Amino acid sequence: MRYVLRRFAQTIFVVVLVTLLTSVALRFLPGGTDVLVALKTGPGATPEQAQQVVKDLGLDKPWYTQYFSWMSNFLSGDWGTTFQSNQPITTAVKRALPISAYLMVYGQLLALSTAIPVAVWSAYRQNSRFDRVSTTSAFAMLSLPNYIVAPVLMYFLSVQRKWIPFPSIYTSLFDDPVAHFKAFVLPSVTIAIPLFAGYMRLLRADMIGTLQSEFITTARAKGVSTANILFRHALRPSMFSLVTSAAVNVGALMGGVVIVEQFFILNGMGRLTVESIFRREYPTVQYAVVVLALIYVGVNLIADMAYAWIDPRVRARRALS
Amino acid sequence: MSDIEVMLDENAPIIPIIDGAAPPKVRVRKRGRVTKWLAISWLVFITVSAIGAESLPYINHSCDQFDSDAECVTGTKANIRYSERPPAWAGFSDSPQKTEPARYGLMGTDKNGFDLFARSMLGARTSLIIAGLAITFGLAIGTFLGMIAGYFRGWVDVVIENLTNVLLSFPALLLAIFFVTFFNDPTTSAATTRPLWPVIVSLVILSIPPLTRLVRANTIAYAQRDFVVAARSLGAKGSRILFKEILPNIVPTLMSFALTGLALLIVAEGALAFLGLSVEAPTPTWGAMISFGTSALREGSWWISLMPAFMLFLTVLSINLLGDVLAQRFNTREAIS
Repeated sequence: MRYVLRRFAQTIFVVVLVTLLTSVALRFLPGGTDVLVALKTGPGATPEQAQQVVKDLGLDKPWYTQYFSWMSNFLSGDWGTTFQSNQPITTAVKRALPISAYLMVYGQLLALSTAIPVAVWSAYRQNSRFDRVSTTSAFAMLSLPNYIVAPVLMYFLSVQRKWIPFPSIYTSLFDDPVAHFKAFVLPSVTIAIPLFAGYMRLLRADMIGTLQSEFITTARAKGVSTANILFRHALRPSMFSLVTSAAVNVGALMGGVVIVEQFFILNGMGRLTVESIFRREYPTVQYAVVVLALIYVGVNLIADMAYAWIDPRVRARRALS
Repeated sequence: MSDIEVMLDENAPIIPIIDGAAPPKVRVRKRGRVTKWLAISWLVFITVSAIGAESLPYINHSCDQFDSDAECVTGTKANIRYSERPPAWAGFSDSPQKTEPARYGLMGTDKNGFDLFARSMLGARTSLIIAGLAITFGLAIGTFLGMIAGYFRGWVDVVIENLTNVLLSFPALLLAIFFVTFFNDPTTSAATTRPLWPVIVSLVILSIPPLTRLVRANTIAYAQRDFVVAARSLGAKGSRILFKEILPNIVPTLMSFALTGLALLIVAEGALAFLGLSVEAPTPTWGAMISFGTSALREGSWWISLMPAFMLFLTVLSINLLGDVLAQRFNTREAIS
């Protein structure tokens, strides 16, 4: 319990620090107010007009006042509107968040569901032909950034064979499942390829270690079937690094797949944040960053809890400390 | 921090994922000698070509379409005569203009009629300079911070550790984009050429936190060793212990970090260039070339973006392979844990 509380305090600390840093850093973006004024009033604004814009947006106050007023607004649930179109920010975030979430979930599911069996079999039959092929291809996949994978997939599946329409048009899963999956299949595969490689290598290495421990020998001596040994005895204690890495990636995927979003023209969180940085939409950037940071720390917290579920020894150690 | 976290920290250093490339992991089987030499020769080839891009004979083979060689290299004026020609070996491609598919050169030409092989070599120069400088500075600063944090511990460690955590909690690409925007003055950069340094500085900042973490873990492992304790009991100062006792021991590990980091930064630079945030147009970089070719890709001219993509892939793969070989040679994993 004390452990949970301490983790919680740490989480809050990180979120506050992240928002504070973003807030301060955004104010120091060069040409910030100039860009805003130009977008707001069009070219050739008089200095008075410019000052009025700055004043309207509350950007003339010192940064700490701005931060605190932002923080209190945030906590009271008033998320404010975007500078330029006066739309509520919540609408923008609400539109972008599901797209990112779908991308993240599909990418992770695809990567994990392929990486786990491949890694388990590779570790079990170490140095077999299967193992050699899968480790080598995983190694090669690590050198494939997604701005290479995306054009290749797009060319072969949407241009050469017209299987999948190219600019992915987002449709909700519940409105039209077929169109939904057509829109998400290429971006998800693009995301999943490097993830697969990372997960596969991590799990394979850990699994090889676990398979040498004595309880595996015992299980085998008792006559437990191979599948049972691999998936029920050995997999669980080998999953530490995998869980850590998967958790870190959840955060990274929610906001960090700007390129995939850009290439397939999906308006997710990454694109929202980047466009808002370019247009100096400070509040939108800030809320996007808060959402991303909350997801990041939240998932890490869950991963931490998951360690205890994976391995009872962790639970015991935590109870002692 | 609970003990399980500490254990994970030191066993499995977490590097943020910069879109595709990932940190080195355990390699059990030794990689073949042939692949190693192939990787080295590819890197030598690409470096030499990048340095001598103006003068090497195999690069200028499309220059007869220009008035002078200098124009060919800088690419100020384009000749449409050679626009979008597929590479000479591409037998299976339809010409986008319904004329006879005249093939051209090793990699074909792009929309402006530039030879893609020559452009790729010039792109290699930009990418390698940016990534190389960035990893050099990043490694220097990261090593310094990591060693201080790992050796002195206490409040220095807490400060550095928390700063790294905060920086790592942002998606890496977003951070890079932010810093590039931060260092680029919008009033000057819009139209003309953008300088190299904002990209380099952004990548340096991006590479510091993970490197600091790794070096810190390594330093902690050595700080308890007998020879360090002996040096301390002989009255050696902290700086002497750090630079004379610990640093030489972590240099091999640093070398393999440097290679992996170089690969990651080439990828990151490509990502920025793909989004149009690296150096500006007349200077080609791999990422920008890939991005430039995607509109033609939709009409079937695959070589314009896939050829530079292939060059980038081979380069990153070779660097990763060498990093792997080094990590095995010096048994990096053992040193960390």
